[in-house]
Amino acid sequence: MASWAVRKLEDRLFVVAVILGSALALAPLAHALAVTLYNGLSTMARAGLGFFVNPPPTPYSASLGGVAPALVGSLLLLALALPPSAFLGLLLAVFTNEFPGSRAAALVEVGARAFASVPTVILSMVAYSLIVVPMRRYSALAGAFALTAASLPYSYTAFSSALRMVPEMYREAAYSIGMSRWATVWRVLVPIARRGIASGVLMTLARILGETAALLFAVGALRYVVPLNPLGPVDALPLLIFDYALSPYKLFHEVAWGAAALLLIVSLALFALSKVVVKGVRL
Amino acid sequence: MKYAVEIERLNVYINGFHALKDVDLRVPQGSIFAVMGPSGSGKTTLLKVINRLIDLVPGARVEGSVRVLGVDALRADPYELRKKVGMVFQVPNPFPHMTIYENVAVAAKLNGAAGSRKELDEVVKWALETAMLWEEVKHRLDRYPSELSGGQRQRLCLARALAMRPELLLLDEPTANIDPVNARKLEEAIASLKGELTIIMVTHLPRQALRVADYVAIIYDGRIVERGPSQEVFVRPSHAVTQLFLKGEV
Amino acid sequence: MSAPVGEMLSEKDKIFYFSLLPPALTTLGLLALIVSTIGAKAALVLPQALAILAANVWDPENERYGLLAPVLGTLVVASIAGAVSLALGLPLTLAVAELLRGRLGSVLQTLLEMASAFPTVVIGLWSARYLAPFLSENVMKPLYSSFGFIPTFSCRPLGGYSLLTAGLAIGFSVVPYTASIMIESYRLIPSTYREACYGIGATRYETARILVSLARPAIAGSVLLGVARAMGETTIAAMTVGNAMNISACLFEPSYTVPALIAAQFGNANLYRYAEPVLYLAALVVLALALALSAVGFKLVSGWRVRIVG
Repeated sequence: MASWAVRKLEDRLFVVAVILGSALALAPLAHALAVTLYNGLSTMARAGLGFFVNPPPTPYSASLGGVAPALVGSLLLLALALPPSAFLGLLLAVFTNEFPGSRAAALVEVGARAFASVPTVILSMVAYSLIVVPMRRYSALAGAFALTAASLPYSYTAFSSALRMVPEMYREAAYSIGMSRWATVWRVLVPIARRGIASGVLMTLARILGETAALLFAVGALRYVVPLNPLGPVDALPLLIFDYALSPYKLFHEVAWGAAALLLIVSLALFALSKVVVKGVRL
Repeated sequence: MKYAVEIERLNVYINGFHALKDVDLRVPQGSIFAVMGPSGSGKTTLLKVINRLIDLVPGARVEGSVRVLGVDALRADPYELRKKVGMVFQVPNPFPHMTIYENVAVAAKLNGAAGSRKELDEVVKWALETAMLWEEVKHRLDRYPSELSGGQRQRLCLARALAMRPELLLLDEPTANIDPVNARKLEEAIASLKGELTIIMVTHLPRQALRVADYVAIIYDGRIVERGPSQEVFVRPSHAVTQLFLKGEV
Repeated sequence: MSAPVGEMLSEKDKIFYFSLLPPALTTLGLLALIVSTIGAKAALVLPQALAILAANVWDPENERYGLLAPVLGTLVVASIAGAVSLALGLPLTLAVAELLRGRLGSVLQTLLEMASAFPTVVIGLWSARYLAPFLSENVMKPLYSSFGFIPTFSCRPLGGYSLLTAGLAIGFSVVPYTASIMIESYRLIPSTYREACYGIGATRYETARILVSLARPAIAGSVLLGVARAMGETTIAAMTVGNAMNISACLFEPSYTVPALIAAQFGNANLYRYAEPVLYLAALVVLALALALSAVGFKLVSGWRVRIVG
């Protein structure tokens, strides 16, 4: 054993290393946050409220335009993808919570993990070949399919852990007053778990809004027109950011920053909300 | 004499562990029957067999004959069986997401015990009165159980069980986790029910059994070692375990 | 006269079970559909799979394809990302779960959770516009001019778009995920071990060393899970890797990863005969690797968790 002085020095260096390492881990993302907000908010300030209602500019426009088509497209995709993802995720979570020892439940657990490991760009390729090609057009529908598949493992996991946290004694109480299995699930267990479930919905929402790769080959990119048809092509905020960032036009870069700031703010707001919702849990 | 519960040669294994051994028991209808014994002796397991909550215990295996309210409990539909058997648990468990009123009302509605809103109000009032909780909550029926003390919550659970209008009521150490004042109130409520329904009460307090019960059975290490009218068992205990138990040494 | 009672004996329970089975089966079916679609679409070129994987060319006009560059690139980028997530995830874990276990630790953990809520496309944008130039100016050019004789540093950076940048960027984005698994695992270590360490007069450093070595399988598993995620990462890769079919030992040049290749080429692939199947083949390779690594990583973590608690 080394001398006490050496050991003390090692200990001090250790603490420094941990602090430095942690800072280095978070600093890049903190920088990204700051830079995105700075660039994006100044774009939005210059574009004014028009940022939310105007279409994007052409490469040599005089004004910044806006991201209205992509914004509406994202909301349309959200409306199409969140319900199936949430419902299916909830049903699966109920299933594995009710029959935890069964082989089917084990398969569902494995399946959910496998699903989470699938690169989302592959989901886009599948949506392309199964939906876009037969329909002969890009569509929000295909995008919603890919988004549902991409977000399902997360909604399932969130709902599953919310249900598992409900103390077993409430199930016993429900059975003891003669409640059926279905009633116990929907009138006792799910309501008691409602905060965790709500939090899960919010996080799933955030995931759907921020997902890019799953949309690449599914929705086309209806960039300049606000979409009204779920069976037709749409644009989405992440797609716009992706395309514009890779383009050579400075104007497009500015719009990309604006859209990125919007997306980031919404994602962080949803995250904060999901935490607030869980806070008041009292069992 | 009619029996609410008739158990013959009951053996229960939980993951191989022999929890109940050759249990024979007959609970007269309308009586208050106490089951006593040290921790881990199988009292709660016995109750759970009667209302088929044993189904929720993983790895449980039940053998023997159990007749509850004239029905073969092991073969019956557990959900139907539980509509006639109420239970109050060791730890009070009122539904936290329902108001005090709703906690009692849901039990009444589920068992067809009430039709219109007016009838429901009456059943809820009756249940809370019988559980000796009405005076304390009548002005705040729309509040939540979290506002009640532990003892009040337990009486709420009793009211919930009573709202089912059960023929048989199972009580698992109902006063174990509440203060003496509330415990007394709960005991009074239980004693007042004698004759109207059959009550099986698990307790580890001999004096409580004496105060409240007509009959008592002593259970030790999964076996019933003594049984009989509570006066006889406590005044002239025959089994060594009973004697030790009464002296508080088991 | 016996009735073995247990879960699912009653008729009503069985009906309930079967009513919930359809969603479960649908989900599993969906998974099977995804894998089989990729496989089926790649079928056309499967006979030449090995040749394609060994070649380095992308010439759709003449129907000549080679996936060596993107596949190697994926492995390199994922390794760099894994190294980053280990090097940075471990300090984070020790900060949250060992040194700062109180309120400060949970603030840090909330920051971590917040970081994992960042959309990857935003990280990609930042990486393309800030990280790449920064690395190019402050890391790559100096290393090239001073240590250019080492193969890894032997090329002139082109704006910073390279395997190194992609690896670092993806690494930064994956750290919150990896760290959260590490932290959850580390927290499961029974406190008796920590108490034993401090009880014999160990310093924080020595205690941490012992506990970390106890947690080695979980840490390794977490890193593998992070690597699996890094393999499939598309947006950041497409925005930082440079999109060039290029194999070299030097990490400062543009290259490709499979997801970046797919993102760049799949859109036009239907103009050619074999481009799509080749891209599906590439997808199949990455899918298989990601699933395999995730499975191993998960097994390591969960197996360890069961042992440490039991």
